[in-house]
Amino acid sequence: MSGRQKKILIIDDEPDVVAYLTAFFIDNGFEVVSASNGKEGFHLALSEAPDLITLDITMPEETGIRLLGELKDEAATRQVPVIIITGTPGISNQQIDHAPTAFFEKPIDRQELLEKIRRILVMN
Amino acid sequence: MAESSRQGILPEHLEIALQKQLFNLVPFGVAVIDDHYRIVTANPHFEEYFGSWKGRLCHEVYKGSKKPCPTCQAKLTFQDGQARVIDETGLDRHGRTRHYVTHVMPLAGINGSAKYVIEMSTDVTETRLRQREYNLLFERVPCFVTIIDRDFRIVRANEKFRKTFGEVRSSYCYKAYKGRDSLCTDCPAKQTFEDGQERITTHTGIAQDGSETHYVVTTAPLSRGGGEVAHVVEIAADITQVKLLEKEKLDAERLGAVGQTVAGLAHTIKNLLMGLEGGMYMVDTGLRTADSGRIMEGWDVLQRNFDKTVAMVKGFLSFSKGRLPVLQDTDPHALARDVVELYRDAAQKQGVELVYKKTRKVHHAPLDPDGMEACLTNLVSNAIDAAMMRENGGGRVEVLTREAKGTLLFEVTDNGCGMDSEVKQKVFTSFFTTKASKGTGLGLLTTRKIVQEHGGCIEMESEPGKGSVFRIKLPLDRLELLAAEIEKEEDSV
Repeated sequence: MSGRQKKILIIDDEPDVVAYLTAFFIDNGFEVVSASNGKEGFHLALSEAPDLITLDITMPEETGIRLLGELKDEAATRQVPVIIITGTPGISNQQIDHAPTAFFEKPIDRQELLEKIRRILVMN
Repeated sequence: MAESSRQGILPEHLEIALQKQLFNLVPFGVAVIDDHYRIVTANPHFEEYFGSWKGRLCHEVYKGSKKPCPTCQAKLTFQDGQARVIDETGLDRHGRTRHYVTHVMPLAGINGSAKYVIEMSTDVTETRLRQREYNLLFERVPCFVTIIDRDFRIVRANEKFRKTFGEVRSSYCYKAYKGRDSLCTDCPAKQTFEDGQERITTHTGIAQDGSETHYVVTTAPLSRGGGEVAHVVEIAADITQVKLLEKEKLDAERLGAVGQTVAGLAHTIKNLLMGLEGGMYMVDTGLRTADSGRIMEGWDVLQRNFDKTVAMVKGFLSFSKGRLPVLQDTDPHALARDVVELYRDAAQKQGVELVYKKTRKVHHAPLDPDGMEACLTNLVSNAIDAAMMRENGGGRVEVLTREAKGTLLFEVTDNGCGMDSEVKQKVFTSFFTTKASKGTGLGLLTTRKIVQEHGGCIEMESEPGKGSVFRIKLPLDRLELLAAEIEKEEDSV
C-alpha cells in the first residue's frame, strides 16, 4: 500500500456490524468512517470522499440498493467501488440496476473480504 | 217502483234481461253442440277465439281437424250425462296454437237425456306460458330451491337439489340437507314461518355422495291471501367451489408465508452470526494486544447478540404456535379503548397524542380478545414510533372502531413518517424491521397471522411524510361461521 491511508465508508444499520468492520479495517491499516442509514451514508460519501464503500441492503428509511443507485447517479461518487455486505439471501447482480463491485454474504470470510478490498484498491 | 224497495232481490225485468244477455256477456267462449257434434250456437267471445262456426263440426272449429278427436269429452258427456273440466289444445282463428280450459256440461232436455252439450272455454295460453317459464326457472336455476310446509317437509325441490341431495319429496328438509333427525338449531325457515321475514344464513349440508356442500340460503315466506305463512321457499346458492378456492388461497398464502419466514429467518441468523463473529474478533484481538477496552467492547457485542438470539427464538415460538383463536363475545369498543388507555401516557412522553375515536353502531362480536389486543397493541406501538419521527413534533395516533357492510373494522392512523413503496412491500415479511436493533420484525407478521385466523385481513395505506393507516377487517359472517366451527370441533372432542 503506497501513499496515503485508504479510507473505507461503512454503511450498515447494525451497530455491532459497524463496530466489527471498523475494528477489522483499522487493524488492517485503513481509515474508517461509518453511517447507520442511507441518508447519512450519502452525505459522508460526498464529504469524506472514501476510496471504497461497504453497504448493507436491508436498512430503515432507504435500502442499500436504492442508495447504490444514488451513488452511481452522482458524478462525485460514481467511480467509488462499492461492496455489498448483506444478510439477504438470493440477491444477485441481475436484480440490481447498478452492479456493485463485489458481493459478500453475512457472515463474512474476513480474510477473503480483506483480499478483495486490497485488490480493488490496487486496481483503482 | 215497489220492487226497488225489496232489498237483496233483483227486480224481475232485470233478471229476465240478464238471463237473455248472460250468454253474450260472460268473458269466455261458449258453444252448444248437438249429438252430431255440430255447433248449433256460440257467443261472440267464442267467435272471436275460433272464427266462423255456423254449420261446422266442433273438431273442425276447435282444431282444424276433419276427424273427431280420439278423446272426445263431449261424447263421454253425451253417454253418461256428467259434466267435465278438460285441458285442451286447439287452433285459434288465425291458426295459432292456444291452450284452453273447457267446461263440458250436458244440456238436459225434457226427458232428461242430453241432446246437446254446452262447452265453455277459457284461453289460458298466457298462463301456461308463464307457468312454463316459472317451471324452467324453478328447475334450472343454478341454486337449490325447495318449498317446504309448516312441518318442514319438502313439498317441491328443483333439479339441482334433487341431483345433489337425491329424491327428497315429502322428506324433512333437515334430513334432506344435512341427514339430521331434528330441526337445525338456527333454522332460518322456522324464523320465517314465525315472523314472515326473509332470512339469509350460511349452512353446510351433506350431499347424497357424502361430500360437504356449503350454501348460502335465503328463506322467503309464501302466504296465500295475506294469512299465516303456509310455505317457505328456500333458495340456496351453492358456495362449495368458492369455499374450496378460498381454502386453496389460504393454504397458498400459508405456504408463501412459510417460505418468507424461512428466508427471513436465514437473514436474521446471518446478522446474528455476523454480530457474534464481530464480538469474537474483538475479544480475540483484544486478548492478543492486551487491550482491555476492546475486550470489553467485544464482550458487550457478544452479550447483545446472545440476548437478541433469545428474543428472536421466543418471538419465533409464539409466532409458530398454530392454534384456533379462542373466541368470546367481545365488545370491540372496549377492547380498542383499553389498548389506547394503556398506551396513552407512554405516547405522551414521546410527544405523541394518542386518541380513541368512537363511532356509533359497533356490535359485540366473537373475537379472541387476547389475540386482537395483541394486534392492536402492535399497530398502536408501531404508529407511535412512526409519529415520533415527525420532524416538527405534533405526532398524533388515532384508533377507530367501526362497522361497515357486515365487516368489523379496527383502524390505526398516524401522521408519522409514512412508508415508501419498498418498505410497504416488506412490512408483512417476517423479520423485516426498520427499527434496527430495537425490533424483531415479527410484530406485523404476528398481527396478520392472528387477523387471518379470525378469517379477516389487514390492509395498509401509507404516504411518505404524511403517515399511515393500518386497517384490520373482520367479516362478521365469517366470525360467526368460525365460532360455529370451533363449537363443533369442541363438541366432537
